[in-house]
Amino acid sequence: MTDFLLENVWFIPFYGLIGAVLTLPWSFGLITKTGPRPAAYINILMTLLAFIHGTFAFRLFWDEIPRQLVFHWVQVADLDLSLVLEISSLSLGAMELVTGISLLAQVFALGYMEKDWSMARFYGLMGFFEAALSGIAISDSLLLSYGLLEMLTLSTYLLVGFWYAQPLVVTAARDAFLTKRVGDILLLMGIVALSSFGTDLTFSELESWVATNPLPPVSATLLGLALIAGPVGKCAQFPLNLWLDEAMEGPNPAGIMRNSIVVSAGALVLIKLQPVFTISPVASDALIIIGAMTAIGSSLVAIAQTDIKRTLSHSTSAYLGLVFITVGLQQVDIALLLLVTHAIAKALLFMSIGSIILNTSSQNITQMGGLWSKMPATTTSFLVGSAGLISLLPLGSFWTMKRWVNGFWDTPLWLLILILLVNFLSAINLTRVFRLVFLGETQAKTRRVAESPWPMAVPMVSLIIVTLLLPFFLENWQLLLTSSGQWSENAPIWEKVAVPLLVISGFLGVMLALTMELTRELSRPTQFYRRFFQDLLAYDFYIDKIYGVTVVWLVANLAKLTSWFDRYVVDGLVNLTGLATIFSGSALRYNVSGQSQFYVFTIIFGVGLLLVWLVYTGQWSMVFDYWSSFFN
Amino acid sequence: MLSVLILLPLIGAVIISFWPQKIGENDSSPLHKNLALLCSLVILFWTIFLVFQFDPNQGGMQFSENLTWIEWLGLNYQIGLDGLSLPLIVLNSLLTVVAIWISSETIERSRFYYALLLLLNVGVVGAFLAQDLLLFFLFYEVELIPLYLLIAIWGGQKRGYAATKFLIYTAVSGILLLASFLGLVWLTGAKSFAYGPLLSQTLPLATQLLLLSGILIGFGIKIPFFPFHTWLPDAHVEASTPISVLLAGVLLKLGTYGLLRFGVALFPQAWQELAPFLATWAAISALYGASCAIAQKDMKKVVAYSSIAHMAFILLAAAAGTPLALVAAVAQMVSHGLISALLFVLVGVVYRKTGSRDVDYLRGLLNPEKGLPVVGSLMILGVMASSGIPGMVGFIAEFLIFRSSFPIFPVQTLFCLIGTGLTAVYFLLMVNKVFFGRLTPELANLPPVQFSERLPGLVLAVFIIILGLQPNWLLNWSEVDTAAISNQLTVNQVQLTMKN
Repeated sequence: MTDFLLENVWFIPFYGLIGAVLTLPWSFGLITKTGPRPAAYINILMTLLAFIHGTFAFRLFWDEIPRQLVFHWVQVADLDLSLVLEISSLSLGAMELVTGISLLAQVFALGYMEKDWSMARFYGLMGFFEAALSGIAISDSLLLSYGLLEMLTLSTYLLVGFWYAQPLVVTAARDAFLTKRVGDILLLMGIVALSSFGTDLTFSELESWVATNPLPPVSATLLGLALIAGPVGKCAQFPLNLWLDEAMEGPNPAGIMRNSIVVSAGALVLIKLQPVFTISPVASDALIIIGAMTAIGSSLVAIAQTDIKRTLSHSTSAYLGLVFITVGLQQVDIALLLLVTHAIAKALLFMSIGSIILNTSSQNITQMGGLWSKMPATTTSFLVGSAGLISLLPLGSFWTMKRWVNGFWDTPLWLLILILLVNFLSAINLTRVFRLVFLGETQAKTRRVAESPWPMAVPMVSLIIVTLLLPFFLENWQLLLTSSGQWSENAPIWEKVAVPLLVISGFLGVMLALTMELTRELSRPTQFYRRFFQDLLAYDFYIDKIYGVTVVWLVANLAKLTSWFDRYVVDGLVNLTGLATIFSGSALRYNVSGQSQFYVFTIIFGVGLLLVWLVYTGQWSMVFDYWSSFFN
Repeated sequence: MLSVLILLPLIGAVIISFWPQKIGENDSSPLHKNLALLCSLVILFWTIFLVFQFDPNQGGMQFSENLTWIEWLGLNYQIGLDGLSLPLIVLNSLLTVVAIWISSETIERSRFYYALLLLLNVGVVGAFLAQDLLLFFLFYEVELIPLYLLIAIWGGQKRGYAATKFLIYTAVSGILLLASFLGLVWLTGAKSFAYGPLLSQTLPLATQLLLLSGILIGFGIKIPFFPFHTWLPDAHVEASTPISVLLAGVLLKLGTYGLLRFGVALFPQAWQELAPFLATWAAISALYGASCAIAQKDMKKVVAYSSIAHMAFILLAAAAGTPLALVAAVAQMVSHGLISALLFVLVGVVYRKTGSRDVDYLRGLLNPEKGLPVVGSLMILGVMASSGIPGMVGFIAEFLIFRSSFPIFPVQTLFCLIGTGLTAVYFLLMVNKVFFGRLTPELANLPPVQFSERLPGLVLAVFIIILGLQPNWLLNWSEVDTAAISNQLTVNQVQLTMKN
């Protein structure tokens, strides 16, 4: 039995896929009598099976040497494309995280999507989503990961576009797909190049390939940048960050997945590609710069949002920015820790706000207030989720950050300041949202609110427990092993006070947000500078406007121009030739007199001209020889 | 064995054209359709039989047939099947069934229509099988007439213009091909137009270049490449759906097939001289087609321009000319055939139900109660397949093309990759406008879609997914024979370097 479970670990992603396929009769309306609920139950059951299977495999496999499963997919000419899976405690753990959060999100959706008529379609997409994600978790092949990332892009498109009748949803789905696609095409370029440079696209062999120093600097740089682009799109990093914000138009349970593990999937691919970035300093620097810009920019933007989902989605970008920095600094362990702690805390936060949105039918935080006494589980979720995300109380994020800055890794001053800043801004943002939503007076939309039904409450409570216990899990799995790093003698002073500073930054953030004045009105400040900054942040630094007047404008007008060119110049030339032929034809028809003398004259005249030309150019003998050869 | 493929549709066409239009009081149009369908199904089964008889590892022509025809002219009835033509024959047989299936039961002058469809099939199959240059040319021209009539009689409003344009373009293409073929045979002093002996021609490079240019432009019109493409959007827009399916799915492949068979294989030396230019041409054509597609308002035009973009990738692969590239080129032919056929079938259903293909007019068709949800879902699938989403045949074909061309023409390949990226842009804009959003009141009472109307789309979608997950089935057929063609290129290269 145990062997069986271990040997068939590769099957876990297929549970989700099977669930997705089984929902088809309901989503296509072939079964209507039962309503869409059976489809939901089937999917939850399949995910539960995947989770149980994964748990057994994870426990059995603990501390064993990683194994590889190789499927030879395409072998043609001199190319061998293999799909490699890596079975290790790390990858199985990642898969557990995926199936676990997926299970909770799907149970959560039972309550959230209860009244939606196309629930079956939703569950089908979630199953598809889960399959792709758990595949990425155990994939050891860049090609397979790319394929699964594209599956994610597709299912994100369909999930964001789930309520496709609403105009905002339509643009959001389109932008999500196209933005990610930009990254993916660049990534595909990178994959094509990488494959052509003589490696077989297996992650675990990249390191030995890189050690042979295979590429000139320019190629290495371009390759590195192309490979970064895919994860930049997936993890919603600047400049491809806006889709995540817009994607909030989709159903909330999908948002739970998207903000916790889907973004992590992109980061996971980035982490596995990390050896390639070591040969290109430019690529490493690009990672750090992109990560830093996104971390600070998104943290600031989050503070100015009034849509409850968007306050959190920008914070997702910010934390993923930190992951990018760690990869750029080659601190892969920290990157993984950050992903785990962020994913769990963010999932919990999104459940909490999903519960709020469902019960208040609003996403605008300025219309809320006083929910703490009415929705205790939701309030606790938000509090615990926030505590898990900012480094103040000894929960997941605190231990991760502590490990990052405690001297084991080389921490430059700018990095410390950046971490402190992100922590400080996140603390402000979450406290601000908490005050507006849960504290204060109740308002029109929050007066008659009750706690969510059990399908939503149970996942929330479970995840609260997981978040609270996360430090113990991490300790237990020895992921925090190096938490008592050695201080080197000449470590700079800031490294020694980093951990206290971290706590202080979180505390200051919370305090500031608790004391600052919060206006519930939507009125904008009258002072020019305040208004300028508030608008700048509220409208995401106007990035979408900038896109509108640059890239989008360029493509749209280029398309119009080529289309015009095609219609009037290329086709016009052709039609002109046709017209000329017709005209010359109709002019020539006046020669058709019907008199045989004229025809004979024309023929003789033509042949005569030909002969004269042949004699003149001296080709006469050639013609003569040719014809005489027939008679010999 | 192979002649059956040519004779069957011919016999079918004859029977249908002599079948009475009316039996008693009943109009027998539906009967004509069923007869044609039966005929095409028999052809399909025969093709499948051939597939199982075919040995992909053998290399060279199989089931060859050789009949002396017009000896003094050097024209012989010489046909054969190899790994290059087999996938295209299968594609043709499948799409002919699809085209007849989706033809309207109450089409006017049904006898004539189905007879022409089957005659078209004769021309296409003959061209794919011909092992004699002149025979190829004859079939290539034979296919032209039924297609002209099919567009000119059963087309849309501007059908006369579109059909004539198509006719003139393809006729020019034929003349150029004929000129090159004649030149090749006469200059080498060959006794006949047989294909095999010509493979070892040793003409001077300048002559080769001249002859190859004729072939390139000739097939370039057929495929079509920029700037010879303007007949295609017009023809697609005016042609009825079944004809569009055949046109995009099979007839364009005659051009790319010819490019490999008569371009790369016959003139390896000249081909290598021109290869960098061809790759650049492919990149320009791909980007041009994609860019034009973005601005189109007619769904059929979007798909038509996307054809131009996707067919250009085949030129890129052919220019690269490695064994991998040529297998990929064949795979892309099949992939594009299936995907564009699917898209045209679906656009056809939308047009039949709503009476429009205008992306600005159509809206919200994904609506599950009153819209076309299954057609919409299939459309999303087809669009994703065309954009190269993995798991479908479009991805593996294009990936192999780019992977094989990148080491040889990196810059051109990257530009073609941008073209792939743009696919998502124009198709997504189309799908978003047509299927998403709120169903407008004018569109709220659409006639329901029958299962029989969905079936062809479903079948094509299944093929697209199966070949996407298991591409070996497609690649293995042509691997040996394309490697042989590519081998000639490399042999030539070695000779060239030795001369220097």
